[in-house]
Amino acid sequence: MMNMTNIPPETPAPASLEQLLLRDDMWMGHSRRFTARAAVGTGYGELDLGLLNRGWPLSCLVEVCQQGMQGEWQLFTPALLATPGLVALLNPPAIPFSQAFIQAGIDLERMIVLSAAEKNHFIACFIELSRASIGAVLAWQPAEALTYTELRKCQLAAAEGTGLAILFRPASAQQQSSPAALRLYSRIAPTGLEITVFKQKGHLQTQTKPIVLALPEQWAPALPYHALNQQSARLKQDAKPRRLARVIPLRGKP
Amino acid sequence: MNAPGSRLWLAIRFSDLALTALKPDGPTTKPIVVIEKKRVIFANAMAAAAGVTVTMDTTTAQLLSGCEIVERDAVKEQSALHQLSEQLYQFSPYIDRYYSDGLVQSGLLLELSSCLALFGGLASLSKKIFAHLAATPYGFEYGLAHSAQAAWYLSFADYDIVGDEVVGNKAKPLFIERLNKLSIDVLIDYPRAVEALAKTGFKTLGDLALQINGKSISSFRKRLGQDFTDLLCDIYAIDQNLLQNSLFEKPRDIYRPDEWFEQEIQFEYPVTIVEQLEPAIENLLQQLSDYLRKRQQQCQYIEWCIADIYRKKEWLKVNSDEPQSHWQLLYDLTLIQFDNRELPFEVDTIKLICHHSMPLQRRSQLLDFDQNRRRKSSLQDFTITIAKLKARLGDSAVYKLGYRDSRVPEFTNVMLALAEKCNQELPEVHLNSLRPTWLLSKPELIEARRNRLYWHGYLSTLVGPERIIGDWWQEPVARDYFLAKRQDHLPVWIFFNLYDKQWYVHGVFA
Repeated sequence: MMNMTNIPPETPAPASLEQLLLRDDMWMGHSRRFTARAAVGTGYGELDLGLLNRGWPLSCLVEVCQQGMQGEWQLFTPALLATPGLVALLNPPAIPFSQAFIQAGIDLERMIVLSAAEKNHFIACFIELSRASIGAVLAWQPAEALTYTELRKCQLAAAEGTGLAILFRPASAQQQSSPAALRLYSRIAPTGLEITVFKQKGHLQTQTKPIVLALPEQWAPALPYHALNQQSARLKQDAKPRRLARVIPLRGKP
Repeated sequence: MNAPGSRLWLAIRFSDLALTALKPDGPTTKPIVVIEKKRVIFANAMAAAAGVTVTMDTTTAQLLSGCEIVERDAVKEQSALHQLSEQLYQFSPYIDRYYSDGLVQSGLLLELSSCLALFGGLASLSKKIFAHLAATPYGFEYGLAHSAQAAWYLSFADYDIVGDEVVGNKAKPLFIERLNKLSIDVLIDYPRAVEALAKTGFKTLGDLALQINGKSISSFRKRLGQDFTDLLCDIYAIDQNLLQNSLFEKPRDIYRPDEWFEQEIQFEYPVTIVEQLEPAIENLLQQLSDYLRKRQQQCQYIEWCIADIYRKKEWLKVNSDEPQSHWQLLYDLTLIQFDNRELPFEVDTIKLICHHSMPLQRRSQLLDFDQNRRRKSSLQDFTITIAKLKARLGDSAVYKLGYRDSRVPEFTNVMLALAEKCNQELPEVHLNSLRPTWLLSKPELIEARRNRLYWHGYLSTLVGPERIIGDWWQEPVARDYFLAKRQDHLPVWIFFNLYDKQWYVHGVFA
C-alpha cells in the first residue's frame, strides 16, 4: 500500500536529448524543420536564393549589422511594399523624409515613427509592437548596447507576432553572439549593396562571397563632375585654372 | 390623503440669486447692485433703501447709492441652481428649473405629491426643505399650487404652509382662490399680454377667471395668442381638448442627479510594492467597467488616489486616446504609469475615481468608397498597443509623417498625430527629383579639407545641381542640392547655401 511518504517529490524529470531536439527554438545546423516558416520575398532574386525560405523570415528576429546608415531602405523597401499592415519605425537614426517614401510608393498612413532613446523603453516598445502582429517593425538599437538576454526577449516577442521584425545594430555587434534567427552584415560597396549572411537558423553557412545588390540608377553619376574632381585633385596646387570664357567689354578701355 | 393624479408643486424662487451666486459669503453692509447690459437687475437692501430700482441704468444707481457694481454671471447662477437641485433631490425626484426673463429671477419647481407619505405630511416636509434652504446663502420665496406655473406665481403672494389643509380634493379650489387675488402684473414674462389686459380693464387674475368662466377661453386665444392661453389653461387647470378629456396628465420630468464612480479598497497591511497593488487595481477597474456597462457609458479619463495611514495622498491620472468601456486597456495603462514611478509611501488605501463618462457611441460603419477599410481596421486593432506606447513614451514620441506643400525640403516633412490624415500628393517637381530617405534634423556644416568637402570622409558630387529657392517672404532659402558620394561610397544629399556660401549635408540615401 502506498502512503504519503512514498509519493515522489514533484521535480521535473531531466529533459532527454530527444526532447530537447524537438524544441522549436533549438538551433541545429542543417535542419528542414524550419523550412515551413512563412517568409516574404526580398525583391532581389540572388538574395532570395541565399535565404532559407526564399525571403525574409516572418515572426522571427532579423538582425542587420551595419556601420551607421547603409542602404537599409534599399534592402527592405521591396519587402515592405509586399507586406500588408502597419510599418513601425522604432528609434530611427534620423528623420524619415516623407517625399522619398511617397516616391517609393509606401503609404505614409501605414508608417508610424516612435522615438524611444532609453533602452528599457526601447525593449518594452519592441516587444509590444512585435506582439501586436503589425506588418513590420524596423528598430534601431539605442545608444546603450543590448545584452544577450534582452535580444532573447526581442526574439521571443518576434516569435509571438506574425510580422517582420528587423533590428539594426552597429557593425561591431557582428562579433557578439545573438539569438536572432537571421543575421547579416550590409555595407555599400562601389559595385552595389553588399550583403553577407553570417547566421541563418537551420542552415549551415556556406556563403563565401557576399551577395551584391544593384543600387538605383539615379544614384549613378549623371554628370562627369566627379571625374573632373578626380582630375583636378591630380592637378598641381599651383596650376592655373583653365579660363572657361573670355569677357570682352563692349565699351571702355580693354 | 391626496387623490391619485393630483399634483402638488412647490415653487422656490431665489429672489437674490443674481447676487448670491456671485458673492456667496452672506449679507454685506455695503450697497451692491448686479447689472446686465448696463441696467440694474438686482439691488440689495442697502441699495434699494438708497432708491435704486431694477431697470435703472448703472450711472444713476451709482450716483444714488455709491454702490459696488457687479456684472451678472449666468453661468454661476446656473451652477448654483444645479447645486441646489442636487441638494433638494433628497426630498423629491421631480425637480424642474424655472427662469423668468422679465424678472431676471430663477427658481426650482418641486413636485411633492408622491413624497408626502415618506416625510410625514406636507407640513413636516416643507419644514425640512425650508430648514435645508435656510442653511444656504440664498434667500428664497415659495409658493404651493396644483401646477408648476401656478406655484411660481403664488410665490409672489405670501401664504404660509400651516398644515395639510392644502392637500386633497379641496386643495385646487383653494389655490385658485389664492391665484384670483393676484394682480396681473405677476405675468411679467408676457409684457404685451399684460399691457393689453390692463388697457381692457383687467386688474387681477380673478378678473381673467371670471371672463373665462363666463364666456370661453377662445377669446383670449384670439387676442393674446396661443402661448398666453396655454399659460392660463395651465394655471387654471383647464382642459383645452374639447372633444375628449385627456387620459393622462402631463408627465413629470425625473431629475437626473450627477453620478460618478468612486470606489476605494483598504489594504489590511501596508503595501510597498506595485505588484501588490495589482489585484486591487484590477478589482476596482472591473467595478468601474460594470458600472459603465450598466449605464451604457464609456470613459476616457480616470484618476487614482493612493493614501497612507497618515492621510498623505498621491494622485495618478490615466488618459486613454479613445473612450473605453472595458477595463483591460485602462488596467494596462495604469500599470505603465505605476511602473514608471515608485510608491512614495506605504499605501493603505487605493481609490479609483471616474468623474466624467459619456454615452456609448453608436457603432456605425462609414461607407467605404476608396477601399481603405483594410487600412482603417488595421489601425483600429492597433489602438490598444498605441495607447500603451503613448503612455510609456509620451504623446509626442509617437507620430506619423506627412507631406506639406513647400519648396524647402525640411518644411515639407511634417510630423502628425496618428489620428490625423496625411497628405501624400507629391507635386511633379518633387516627384521626379532625387530625395534621400533620411533627413538630418538640422543641416550639418561640411568642412573644407585640402580643398575638398569633408563630412566623416571626403565627399565628391555625383548628380546635380538642383536649385531650390523659396520662402522669400520669411527667411529666404536658396540652395544648390547635389547627390554626393562619401569616401566609403555612402550617397549623401548635400547643398551649397547661396546666402552664406557654405556647404551642408542635409540627408542620406539609404
